[in-house]
Amino acid sequence: MKSKISVLLIVLLAVSAMSAFAVGDKDSGTASGAPARTINVLLWDDPYPKALMAMLPEFTAATNITVNIEMLQPPQVLTKTAISVTPTSTDYDVVGIDEGNIPVFASLLLPFDSWYKGTVYPKTDPKSITPKMYSIGTWNGVQVGVPINGNLYVWMTRKDLIENPTYKAQFKAKYGYDLGVPKTFKELLEMGTFFYENDIAAGFGPFNGGPAGVLSEAVFMWESFGTKFIDYTGGTYKVVLDQAKAVEGMEFYKKLMAISPKGAETMAHVERQAAFAADPKGVFSMFIWPAQIAAYEDPAKSLVAGKIAYSAPPAGPRGQAAVTGAWAIAIPKASKNQEAAAEFVYWWSSKAIADKLVQANTIPARTETLTNPAYAASKPWLPALADSMKVAASRPRFKEIGQVQDVVKKYWVMGITGAMPTNEAIRMIVKETNDILQKAGY
Amino acid sequence: MTFSRRPATSQTGRVALRRSGGQGSPVPFLVPALLIVFAVLIFPIVFSFVVSLFDWPLSAGGGQRRFVGAGNYKDLVMDKEFWNSLRLQLGFIFIAIPLELVLGLAAALLLNREFQGGRVVRALILLPVFFLPVVSGMTWRFMLQPRYGALNNFLLSLGAPEITWLGHPTFAYAAIIVQDIWRMWPFVFMLLYAGLAGIPSDVLEAAEIDGATFWKRLFLVILPLMYPTILTALLLRIIDALRIFSEVYVMTEGGPGMSTTLFSLYTHRQAFGYMKVGMASAMAMFLLTISVIFAVTLVRKNMSLEKLEDQGGNR
Amino acid sequence: MTMANRRKTITTAVMFFAIALLLIELYPIIITLLNGFRRDIVILSGQKFELNQLTLDSYMLVFKNRQMMKAMGNSVIVGLLSTALSVGVGAMAAYGISRFKFRGRNALAYSFLVFRMLPQMSLVVALYMMFKAVGLRDTIFGITLAHSSFNVPYVIWMLIPFFTAVDKSYEEAAMVDGCTRWTLFKLVFLPLVAPGLVVAAVFAFINSWNEFLYALILTGVKARTAPVAISSLIGGDTLTWGQMCAASTVMLTPVFVFTLAMQRFLIRGVAAGGVKG
Repeated sequence: MKSKISVLLIVLLAVSAMSAFAVGDKDSGTASGAPARTINVLLWDDPYPKALMAMLPEFTAATNITVNIEMLQPPQVLTKTAISVTPTSTDYDVVGIDEGNIPVFASLLLPFDSWYKGTVYPKTDPKSITPKMYSIGTWNGVQVGVPINGNLYVWMTRKDLIENPTYKAQFKAKYGYDLGVPKTFKELLEMGTFFYENDIAAGFGPFNGGPAGVLSEAVFMWESFGTKFIDYTGGTYKVVLDQAKAVEGMEFYKKLMAISPKGAETMAHVERQAAFAADPKGVFSMFIWPAQIAAYEDPAKSLVAGKIAYSAPPAGPRGQAAVTGAWAIAIPKASKNQEAAAEFVYWWSSKAIADKLVQANTIPARTETLTNPAYAASKPWLPALADSMKVAASRPRFKEIGQVQDVVKKYWVMGITGAMPTNEAIRMIVKETNDILQKAGY
Repeated sequence: MTFSRRPATSQTGRVALRRSGGQGSPVPFLVPALLIVFAVLIFPIVFSFVVSLFDWPLSAGGGQRRFVGAGNYKDLVMDKEFWNSLRLQLGFIFIAIPLELVLGLAAALLLNREFQGGRVVRALILLPVFFLPVVSGMTWRFMLQPRYGALNNFLLSLGAPEITWLGHPTFAYAAIIVQDIWRMWPFVFMLLYAGLAGIPSDVLEAAEIDGATFWKRLFLVILPLMYPTILTALLLRIIDALRIFSEVYVMTEGGPGMSTTLFSLYTHRQAFGYMKVGMASAMAMFLLTISVIFAVTLVRKNMSLEKLEDQGGNR
Repeated sequence: MTMANRRKTITTAVMFFAIALLLIELYPIIITLLNGFRRDIVILSGQKFELNQLTLDSYMLVFKNRQMMKAMGNSVIVGLLSTALSVGVGAMAAYGISRFKFRGRNALAYSFLVFRMLPQMSLVVALYMMFKAVGLRDTIFGITLAHSSFNVPYVIWMLIPFFTAVDKSYEEAAMVDGCTRWTLFKLVFLPLVAPGLVVAAVFAFINSWNEFLYALILTGVKARTAPVAISSLIGGDTLTWGQMCAASTVMLTPVFVFTLAMQRFLIRGVAAGGVKG
């Protein structure tokens, strides 16, 4: 017995020691004129950075810079950036920052104006970035990051449903106008109800997952019903939500919930994807973050690949809004490899890479690439994206947004599921947001 | 009947033990553990205490660190979500762990015999414990989905109403408890099984031959003998249950509303959602205080080392 | 009915019951196992299981994912190292606490317990700063040490009952033979508490294997462990369900083998210890 245990322990130790050595070795840089350098990059995990990763050998060959990319889920990217990037030290030379978190990190990031001039790739021209996206990389008038993906609400409608002659005739007979991509909230609700009531498909796919996404839906509704949530006026942040309009927006969403698939109360991205793209019945119409289009257009993951019509979101009674949710890439002031880091960003935001990224069904934030007519036919979401850009709306941005979006999520979901009267839910959102702002000293 | 654990006691042995300094020094045995614990546990705890006295943003870009004294603690006491999270956490512990103990004990008693494939069964039953908590949470979320969730469909076939289980405060809370019981009762089983294996089989057999009924045997022979192991299982489970996080996070993210925001999830939210490390640290200190009280009162009374020795060494 | 007959019936009944129990208990894992072999679209559309759905695509993707494979390797290394470290150190401490009488030993034992109760998220920031200062961030040794921080107290508390259960007369007998405390510990106690050591090793390994937050914060590309790598297959915005299931199944395999191997030491470990009076 005793000997068995010691043998076991010895084996364990030997195995671990051997493997520890095995991990130690690291491949050396490739041969090239420039000195070998390594940069560490922290990015969010979705098809876009993944597509980029596949192209890295090309960058390393041209610059002799090795890039270690660490990809994590967005909340984890936030946590790691917050802990590891300080004024004096950083584990990463390039970090991806979600637009809502720019205010937190702005003071730690190298202003774009003082980035090095590239030696291999030219410095990114800010004018090449789509104007609506440009502002997400700036804070207090200083550009601190390069907006890198053109992520904002785009609308998806099932082409096969709206083009079906039977449905078209039935719908026309009942509502008196043609079935099509919904252009207004009224059309969205009526068409959705038509499909839902006839048990053809669910009418709508809500988002009730993470707080940031729920805030997007709330802002979408409120902007469409003509009210802003929080505004920066007179040097301070104030809740400017018009409660009557906000209640209308919530009431409308509640009606959409009624024509949504079962389980709508807990639908996050995964469940929405399952409902829209994997369920045989599917969903008639809903928003999508274009960053995810690659998955919806992948026949291995989607029953509706090639069957989706893209457009700007339908307009509400008093406005139209496409909520933005883009990422900027930035260089921490404390990075010791700022030159190599800048080189990497310039390469990423270059035209050549943007064109390749588009081919991978992702959406770089370069105007000329997004509006290139050569892509419009094979990538139908690009023209829709351009339309959405015209009505882009951003969520409020300030350091305490984390607490505010929790409050919004809590009462929004209660309001739209009927667990609380909508006017009461809106009242609580306003009250508790005011409390947070007051406590934060605005 | 003699116990295999007790060799013939000799007078000379006692003398030798006394002569060798009676006790010898425990220090060499304790030093390595103390070193590790000091470096990677005590230091962070002291640090955490210091942080709890500050308004300490997680990111250096989130503002200045500011000494606020007891300010965080005051905020906590005033925060109704904090008390709610504590209540949910305690409820979770009081419901899940007793059930896990009962299940684990029953299975240990039942499987404590040799039968074909017994070893494989005992190893297989442990698989849920090895199942990554995030994946477990995700799988349960998936199984409870309306329309395509397997467990949901099973419940429907039993005549349950159509409900979005994770969208309903009570059912979501029940679901995270069931998930934990599912995942962790085999842990209790394994521990108790090992404890049971430590009881010489002749004791168990003797009781059987004596014609004692099962329940008598359980309460008069087995449970008293297993007392230390059961308490250990209980303690270790409580410790883990206080730290439960990722499975609940992926299942419900603490929702709907705040109905599954356990203490640990609320701590996480303060630290990483609101980036208020000071508040999170204050919550940790609060938990530490509860743990100390718990250890000093309950554990000390029931599980002092002397008592353990009485239970074990003198049988 | 004879005694032997009765026993046989009971054993058979137990066997059937055990199998039924296993089927219920392992249902979610069976689902995961099967889904690793099915395409995402099939999983999500809730189709009934059919043989012709089987595909190795997800496994191929997992095995081709170098970061994932490296993370799994790291997990095995960190798990074994941290288990060896904490069981070794923990067994010594448990022995020291339970077989010596000294002032404050109860207090010492409880403080191990109490400190283990704190959630990782309240300690991880301090650990990160410390590791960064001494160069342990993103190293195998660093994350091993971090995992030992919760495993050592765990092992100590798991082993105390096993150590206290050993009869005093062993010590006395050994002392006559002129054993030192150290040889006593090594030659007498360790074999006697073997089942405890096995259980402690298994669970220390599980703790390390499943640990997420320390791994997330304290490691980067080099020492990243599997839970962090797998989590990026989950909640992200797009779904890779098949790969998640495949990766989880791959992760279950070594621990299952490990437990099965360890079982040999568990069964009637004490009786087999070869110390019968």
